[in-house]
Amino acid sequence: MGQNGRVQPRPSPLDPLLNPEGGGIELLLGNEAVLRGAIEAGIGFACGYPGTPSTEVSDGFAALAPHLGIPFEYSVNEKVALEMAFAASLAGARSIVAMKHLGLMAAGDPLSTIPYIGTVAGLVIVSAGDPSCLTSPNEQDQRHLADALHLPMLDPPTPQAALEATRFAFELSEGCGLPVVLRPTTRVCHTAAPVRLGAVSPREVRGFQRAPQRFLPVPANARRMRSEIEERLALARELIAAGDWLTESGEGRTAVFSSGAPSATCADLLRAAGAEKDIVHLSSSVVFPLPAEELVERLTSLERVLVVEELSPYLEDHLRALCQLHRLPLEVLGKRTGHLPTAFEYEPGVIAAGLHAAFGIGSRPAPDELAATPPVRPPVLCAACPHRSSFFAARAALGAEKHFFNDIGCYTLGCGGPLDAGDALLCMGAGFSLAAGVARTTGERTVGFLGDSTFFHSGMPALLNAAKEEVDMVAVVLDNEITAMTGFQESPTTAAASPREPDDAPGDIATIARALGARRVETVDPHDLPGTIAAFRRAEEHSGLSVVIAKRPCPVAEQRAEGRAPAPPLPAFTIDPALCGTCGRSSCGKRCGQGVDPGYERALIRARVLEDGAESAQPPVAPCTQRCPLYLCVQGYAAHIAAGNYADALELIMSELPLPDSVCRVCHTPCEAACVRSELDEPVAVNDLKRFVLDWAAEQDEPPYRPRRAPANGLRAGVVGAGPAGLAAAHELILRGYTVDLYDAAERPGGLLRSGIPAYRLPREALERDVERILALGIQFHPGRTLGADLDLETLLEDHAAVVVALGAPRSLELGLPGEGPETVGALAYLRDASPRRARAVLVVGGGSSAIDSARVARRRGAERVWVACLEEGSELPASAREVAEAEREGVEILTRARAERRVATGVELIGVRPRVSGARKPADFESLARGARALPAPQAHFPGDAARCLREEGAVSLEVDLVVTALGQAVDPDVLPDLLDPAGEAVSAAPESGATAHPRVFAAGDLAAGPRTVTDVIASGLRAAWGLDRSLRGAERADERRPPPLVSTEPPLGRPGIPRRDDGARRRPVELDPQAAIGSFDEVVGRLDEREARAEAERCMVCGLCGNCRSCVDLFGCPAILSGTDGALRIDAALCVGCGVCADFCPNGAIAPIAEPAQASASASAGAGAGAGANAGTDTEVSA
Amino acid sequence: MSETVKRAASTRHRAADSVGPARRDARLLIVGVGGQGVISLARLVGRAALEAGGEGRVGQLHGMSQRGGSVEATVVFGAGRTGFVSRGEADVLLALEPLEAARAAPRLAPGCLAWIERNPIAVPGVPAGPAEAELLAPVRAVTDRICRIDARAGARAAGAERSVNLVMLGALAVCGALPVGEDALRGVVAAARPAALAAFDEGRRLGAAALAARRGGG
Repeated sequence: MGQNGRVQPRPSPLDPLLNPEGGGIELLLGNEAVLRGAIEAGIGFACGYPGTPSTEVSDGFAALAPHLGIPFEYSVNEKVALEMAFAASLAGARSIVAMKHLGLMAAGDPLSTIPYIGTVAGLVIVSAGDPSCLTSPNEQDQRHLADALHLPMLDPPTPQAALEATRFAFELSEGCGLPVVLRPTTRVCHTAAPVRLGAVSPREVRGFQRAPQRFLPVPANARRMRSEIEERLALARELIAAGDWLTESGEGRTAVFSSGAPSATCADLLRAAGAEKDIVHLSSSVVFPLPAEELVERLTSLERVLVVEELSPYLEDHLRALCQLHRLPLEVLGKRTGHLPTAFEYEPGVIAAGLHAAFGIGSRPAPDELAATPPVRPPVLCAACPHRSSFFAARAALGAEKHFFNDIGCYTLGCGGPLDAGDALLCMGAGFSLAAGVARTTGERTVGFLGDSTFFHSGMPALLNAAKEEVDMVAVVLDNEITAMTGFQESPTTAAASPREPDDAPGDIATIARALGARRVETVDPHDLPGTIAAFRRAEEHSGLSVVIAKRPCPVAEQRAEGRAPAPPLPAFTIDPALCGTCGRSSCGKRCGQGVDPGYERALIRARVLEDGAESAQPPVAPCTQRCPLYLCVQGYAAHIAAGNYADALELIMSELPLPDSVCRVCHTPCEAACVRSELDEPVAVNDLKRFVLDWAAEQDEPPYRPRRAPANGLRAGVVGAGPAGLAAAHELILRGYTVDLYDAAERPGGLLRSGIPAYRLPREALERDVERILALGIQFHPGRTLGADLDLETLLEDHAAVVVALGAPRSLELGLPGEGPETVGALAYLRDASPRRARAVLVVGGGSSAIDSARVARRRGAERVWVACLEEGSELPASAREVAEAEREGVEILTRARAERRVATGVELIGVRPRVSGARKPADFESLARGARALPAPQAHFPGDAARCLREEGAVSLEVDLVVTALGQAVDPDVLPDLLDPAGEAVSAAPESGATAHPRVFAAGDLAAGPRTVTDVIASGLRAAWGLDRSLRGAERADERRPPPLVSTEPPLGRPGIPRRDDGARRRPVELDPQAAIGSFDEVVGRLDEREARAEAERCMVCGLCGNCRSCVDLFGCPAILSGTDGALRIDAALCVGCGVCADFCPNGAIAPIAEPAQASASASAGAGAGAGANAGTDTEVSA
Repeated sequence: MSETVKRAASTRHRAADSVGPARRDARLLIVGVGGQGVISLARLVGRAALEAGGEGRVGQLHGMSQRGGSVEATVVFGAGRTGFVSRGEADVLLALEPLEAARAAPRLAPGCLAWIERNPIAVPGVPAGPAEAELLAPVRAVTDRICRIDARAGARAAGAERSVNLVMLGALAVCGALPVGEDALRGVVAAARPAALAAFDEGRRLGAAALAARRGGG
């Protein structure tokens, strides 16, 4: 093809085969020599079924038949082809039919009767053999059919011999009345050698003449015909003996007797060994019937003969029989004597070893050395193949356990490997029958695949059979409208194949399937991945026979079509390295082992493709990750723990979480609330798993994980407030290369973690581990500095490029109870107060962690009775279920749906409330609950007694207490940063995703920015503020090298496909302190899981998310256009990508998108699978010395 | 050098630092990846040999290999009946892809003249192969007569991007290591692929430069 894209007609290399004159010499393949031989014999009809290594015979006739003026067809199968060719013989035309060795068996029925009827004009059957199974599922030796079915058979050793044997085969067939089989093997078919042509005989078609006695093999006739076969064979022997089909060279009493391709190899080897004169070489191009007399005559003078033939000892045994029959004292060597092997092609080394062993000539070839070999480059489905997507969709839709039965041809390449689309394979058309047979035997619903050619070849009867029995199976036809594997021969679905109008083409598979009795037939375009997966799902839902036709033409065939302008290329796709392997955010760089199970990954892909839609930006992370403010990959570290890889688990946690020792103790675990496992029994114990790894790390001599710190960027940042948000921001900034000053009013960092969370929940040594680790990175901590007192924003902004303010919400909200009564104190003050307030009975108002903590602290400070009164009930409580349970174990009484009404002299009166919508379980929302609460009728009850019961039954209760702790939430200090407050004065107005405030160099994090939140929430906001600051100072590109956790999605979590869980074990519970002991101290209440328990608990994870490090496009889809570098980075070869976009449809990271500019026409027109130009060829020439 | 290779060296020895003269019974091994045009290249060489009055047999092994797998073809010159190139027998290697050159290393005769295209084609599903130096180590263990050609760039320069094979053939044509001359090869290319003759000529230019550099560099 020229640069201008015009297609120039090439001179066909076959043109010389039309030359009517003989005498010229042409370089011809063995198959082309057969073609020429048939032309010289005056061929009148040709047909075939493509099959390597025979295909060039049929292809040659396809190209030349119009010039020869003869009919040619690719018949739908070998049986039909042979019947057609036989009919042509009956009609008086010399005919030829070509197929591979396996085809001869497919044509076995007519083949076995044709010798009875006999031929009229010459009939030659080309059945190419394939020793070593180079392109076949077996290497069957068809020579045994010769005497079994009375078929004269020729086995020429070279292209020249093939031409002559073909010409002779027609004369032999006509002379003796039997069809003649020509059996060249791969080496002959596919060796090109100079061939001297003969003259072309005139063509003759005598016409069909009625001869009922001859042409009707009814039993009475058949018995007579059987006798005639012997006469025909005798004639054949005479004709063969008259020819030159047994050649002899050399002299002596030892000989080599060979046939077929090994004859040529023997000749070359004898010559190379200088033994061509001293050893007799008998070579027979005839397999059957052997010219026995001539052979015996030559054998008489010999003492030893080595029989060299590939595959079975066919000639060897015939030779032995002749020797026995004629009492020849000849020593016969060969396969039976162990001199030569009975399997596989005879490469020169094999025969050389046999010659050496038999006669001591030549040298014994050295055994192959075991050398390091490059990785095998196996044949694969082309990058362009639309049916890669069909296989992928089928496995994704139907699951790893479903049994798939596959087909011969290109689709064989879908077996095993990444596509995993073939559990068994037999022969042409068997995909349906195998599926049906297994389905009928076991009752399981199976899947069978056929291509369009094999469907027509022998799949239609199998489909009819399945429809007749209403077999419980899915029959899939992968229609690429061509017979691609053997070199793009037409199939009945090929648009150009039919002389009829395209819409009237005979090969409409859907119509045929319905006509064969399939009631559910669906046709899909495999490039539509969601549509194809959905079609397989629908097919699976039914019982009985479902047919799915995946239809899209082979693009390689379209490109090769002569004279057709290539279709405008689709833009190739490219992989964005910033998104590949990111779970939508950052890469852990380690495949944790979760989600590696291909079946499970496919199921997740199915869930994503079908339920999520390709357009959704929501990555398919597990629900726990989706709900985690820090976006932690829980399933990842669970997998590492389960596998005993604690350092990897630690890295996965600590690379995202700067205060892990604290968070693993105090996190409110929204992950557990989302955990899919809770639908089965209980959620995975996420905090306990994290805690196990952190405690393990604390026991190591060296820190197992050290964060990666970017080089200093020369910028100084200030962080005001050293609570969890400020610590997180400071940590993140120093990792990003900033010099960081951290200011706090207290003497030690920690903020609320230190002052507001009691040590029995967060032991101080755990907190100190976090604080020390962060400060040790080089953060300058400035204690005792208070914004608004000895620190002001203007000075900070003079000293720093930008500032993160994370002052928290230090003020407790007031309860404002009417009446006079017991002392009232805010929860923060109560928890912080170092000098414990003695109280006999305490009421805590509120339902969050501070309330529960206050109650438990009160118990530890000696209170005999402690109540918590809150509006919420059950799971609505903001405090975690674990905290509530622990508090109750410690004797705290929780009064739900209770509202403090007023203080009286002895205590507090509570009334019962109920939610506006009874029975509705809504997420806890204090505000709406409070608004919706309404008072019940209020008869009085009295203390002591069962306050909860009294409240429930009476609607009110009066509690005798001497201290009231209000834990109703906190508020920011309105005096700091008044200019940046939101209009309500409740918080600093800041962008939630970046902490950006109205001041371009001030960023806000934590409670100060968003109102009171949990510890985990404010850590996330600190990370986002650091990113926001970095982005504003250094730009998005630099800042995005580390991405902060996304805002917690409000989308419903992805549905989890039905995957059996790995383990049925119940949730493991760490040891807890005995309640009596617990309230006697501030020791940590919750223990840790031991190693065995932790690993068992990690096993309970059901792996609900798709790992962003999936490599699904390579490992599951296997498209050869997607290449993997040594660093593991994936890229798409634009020259191979045909722009189908299927990989982009399922990429969990949304990393694959079309290149904006369409690919160059010449690049995308690259035809072969592996060929084509790459992107980065240099222009120099390197010469190695 | 292994024992096997030494034995082969004694029978088919040639001075390692000269290019010619061509053996009349030279064996050419052509390797590449399915779709690169390995087989059509071998046919062109075989036809050129025939048209130049010589004799050559072309062996080709394909079938499933055409789907992006390894492909090889052979041309055996001189009298004889087969087209095999067995272990240690290739006098000339024409590799359209370097990984395939490495795979062919056991087939090379000592001192074999190896023309190797520079640009690796990745094996699907396998991370990019070893570094170039390591990649060709098996070839270097057998011969130091290695010419590497960026035929991909050459084909692009010639405006025939898909004719990498003809660029390599052009380079091979100038080396004089085959009993078929440059003119005969150019003649068959001109007849069979007239539109891609520029690629062949670009290959001749690259091949001549490579040989000159070899001689210059010792």
